Amino acid sequence: MEKVRYSDIRFVKGKSSSIHIENGNVENSGSSFFGKALVRVLGEYGWGYYCASGLDMDNEKQKREAIEKAAKLAKLAQVKADVAEVPNGTPHSWAVSAKEQENTPLEEKAESLMRIEKSAQTENIVSTSARYAEIYNDVIFEDCNGYEAKSSICRTLFTVSSVAAKNGDMQMNYEQKAVCGAMNLDDYISYGEKCSKTAVSLLSAKASPGGKMHAILNPELAGVFAHEAVGHASEGDAVRDGVSVLAGKLGQQVGSPLVTIIDDPSLHFYGYEPFDAEGIATGATELIKNGVVNKYMHSRETLAAVGLETGDAGHARAEPGMNPLVRMSNTYIKEGDASFEELLEECKNGVLLIGSRGGQVDPGRGVFQFNAKYGYLIENGEQTQMIRDVSLSGDILSVLHNITMCGKERKMSSGMCGKGQSVPVADGAPHISLNDATVGGSGND
Amino acid sequence: MIEIDVDKIISAGEKIADEVEVYVIKTDDLSLEQRESAVSSVFEHSGNSVYIRLVKDKKIGVSSTSDISRWSDCITSALSSAKLSKPVDEWKGFAEKKAITNFENPCDEKIVMSAELASEFLERMKAGAAEHKEARPVSAAVTLLRGESLLANSNGVYLSRKVSSISLGMDAICENSTGYEYDSSPFLSRVNPEKIGEQTTFWASASKNCKPIESKKYDVVFSEDVVESLIFGLFSDAVSGKNVLHGKSIYANKLGESVCAENVSFTDVPSDREGNSWRAFDCEGYPAGNVEIVKNGVLNSFLYDAKTAADAKTETTASAQKNSDGSTYIAPHNLRVSAPREEVLNRPCLFVKEVIGAHTANPLTGEFSVEVANAFLCENGLFTTPVKKAMLSANVFDILQNGFTISAKTKTFDGAVAPKMRISNMQVI
Repeated sequence: MEKVRYSDIRFVKGKSSSIHIENGNVENSGSSFFGKALVRVLGEYGWGYYCASGLDMDNEKQKREAIEKAAKLAKLAQVKADVAEVPNGTPHSWAVSAKEQENTPLEEKAESLMRIEKSAQTENIVSTSARYAEIYNDVIFEDCNGYEAKSSICRTLFTVSSVAAKNGDMQMNYEQKAVCGAMNLDDYISYGEKCSKTAVSLLSAKASPGGKMHAILNPELAGVFAHEAVGHASEGDAVRDGVSVLAGKLGQQVGSPLVTIIDDPSLHFYGYEPFDAEGIATGATELIKNGVVNKYMHSRETLAAVGLETGDAGHARAEPGMNPLVRMSNTYIKEGDASFEELLEECKNGVLLIGSRGGQVDPGRGVFQFNAKYGYLIENGEQTQMIRDVSLSGDILSVLHNITMCGKERKMSSGMCGKGQSVPVADGAPHISLNDATVGGSGND
Repeated sequence: MIEIDVDKIISAGEKIADEVEVYVIKTDDLSLEQRESAVSSVFEHSGNSVYIRLVKDKKIGVSSTSDISRWSDCITSALSSAKLSKPVDEWKGFAEKKAITNFENPCDEKIVMSAELASEFLERMKAGAAEHKEARPVSAAVTLLRGESLLANSNGVYLSRKVSSISLGMDAICENSTGYEYDSSPFLSRVNPEKIGEQTTFWASASKNCKPIESKKYDVVFSEDVVESLIFGLFSDAVSGKNVLHGKSIYANKLGESVCAENVSFTDVPSDREGNSWRAFDCEGYPAGNVEIVKNGVLNSFLYDAKTAADAKTETTASAQKNSDGSTYIAPHNLRVSAPREEVLNRPCLFVKEVIGAHTANPLTGEFSVEVANAFLCENGLFTTPVKKAMLSANVFDILQNGFTISAKTKTFDGAVAPKMRISNMQVI
């Protein structure tokens, strides 16, 4: 037997079901079944990972053999890694297995989804579609110290999208709802109509102007801003490897005192995890506190490497069968005290950006980019003409200083985050006001 | 060796459905990750995926599993799925048995699950990276993969395929400037680890001391990576028969019309030996031949799988690929573009190696505004000034319509062989 300093097994078994409707017909539906274990061993120096499909967690011999395989792989690693001694804690208990959701026949869910999609079929709409998915993950975690944790989590989501066309011009929009737990699709019938209304409005929207200007970000987009501009740069692996502009900046003022940003996997949003991929009970980590870099997110390994005083473990996440990575979960900017009217008044002239079409960051360079679904011009403190195809980019270390106001009402939105592996996350914020923002758009011609 | 009894699955499916198709993939892979110039972790994976499709009364049902012991659950689930689906009135059935000859697998017997082999390639990348000592390699990884697939259906189709691949990636930092390179190939001889290492640290070191540039229109040269992710990505979406059928493509109803400059053609070439995943048949078992999508600027064909082709009352172009749920999606196997060639960097331009946010482009309208990374002002083929921060705003479909030139040299990706592309007059903010 090779030298084993630490080992654990994370087994994820589950089922995912989906329905896909296109223009009033079920295009696809079905269920998939999965069961994968990631066995990891910390050898004399570094890690060995072995992914086993169909591992029987009640079969001690099978588990022992899998650990031996991982131990052999670990023997090849030469970079010294350690795991910080962190109490496992008590996972926040929250029943999200959603058995009722699982027991509802797919046919009934298809009928409800069809109603949402039908409500999107309005004037000037040439194409509609809707998707529904429910994913059940049953996790068993065991480590070499005899610690064991179990969770059963259901995530459900739907998306409705519309394409509007008029006089040769086409525009699209989508609306989405994703929750941790059960979802009654019939509560969201109006989402279809709302989706199409925006798609049709975009037909008469003008291209966004580009350049430096004042911008107000709505809660969904401001949440993506928190995720892209701050969250990724606060991940312990990026800090350890020196590829984050926030590395070495603990205690330094990097933004306006109005800005406090928190990541909390224990909150009951889409990124919820009662314990992380290393079996650590989750909780809140204040990344930025009143504009000052306060803590980093860590796995046990990055906590040991960067320093026990630099943040919290409990932020390791992984797809089934994959190795844990330091990741965000539910990330948000704390509320301020400004009303929306005050934000408009302060902005005077600029743009209001709404919704998110995704974003990306290079934490080493400290540059981020994301796209809004659409926006409005702000002229003389008033929201005026709709604009489309608008993006925003910036430098992490300067943009946080440019936040001039935070609204008083925070909303959370759900999505997926990619970092080699894709995990469910929620981002949120109140409306925020951003001075001297770099806005991208082709409307300067 | 695939050890699943597909005949047993087909027999079970035939008892409850009119047609059955089973697609099995077995993969073994080994990854070595390097940090601080040494191996930091080793990952091994071995697994099977089983995808089942059933047809009952012209309704198609799908299911899949990574746990082969659950194939019978998939049969039941696929039948439920079929009951819920819309019938495909023009459905012609799964592929028929046909002789597929002269087929060679994109598989290199030299690629084996050997830690020594992976270590050797890591070391060679490291040696290349040492060319630019100012930059520090942050991490590197090598993945070796061997895979085998088997497609069988109730019409007697029984097609197997073997693949191999080596993937290499590295990232580096120089002050606040980063660099990244990646390559993959079915063959060891086609990747150049020293070059990947050298280029990674080159991009990081050459991009430091970058300067802001004036906001105006520039001639822009996209690297092969940007062409593949941004231009080819949106073009492929627009020519997918599924998007066309469902009214989600700007090219719908434009067959026979000019959609690109007249000197531009796009072709899918599945048998291209320069490609990474050449094939004789698609994942439904249909023989995959060349598809001239745009010929001399005129839209000539869309891409189809069997179901979409039936719905559109046309023939499949054998462009089906497998979704994780067992259904198919449509994508080119190996997209090629032809356009006038030149030394694209010889005239003054802004060269863009990477963009941040390619996936945020509007897939329907083609509008994009993305941030550049590793961008340089360029004269006479030389990088003169690294560019600090710039946002590009344009429309992919307008670029194709207005025309562009391409480099002779190309880079191979999993679904495309892409050149550099020179585009005139692009707005830079």
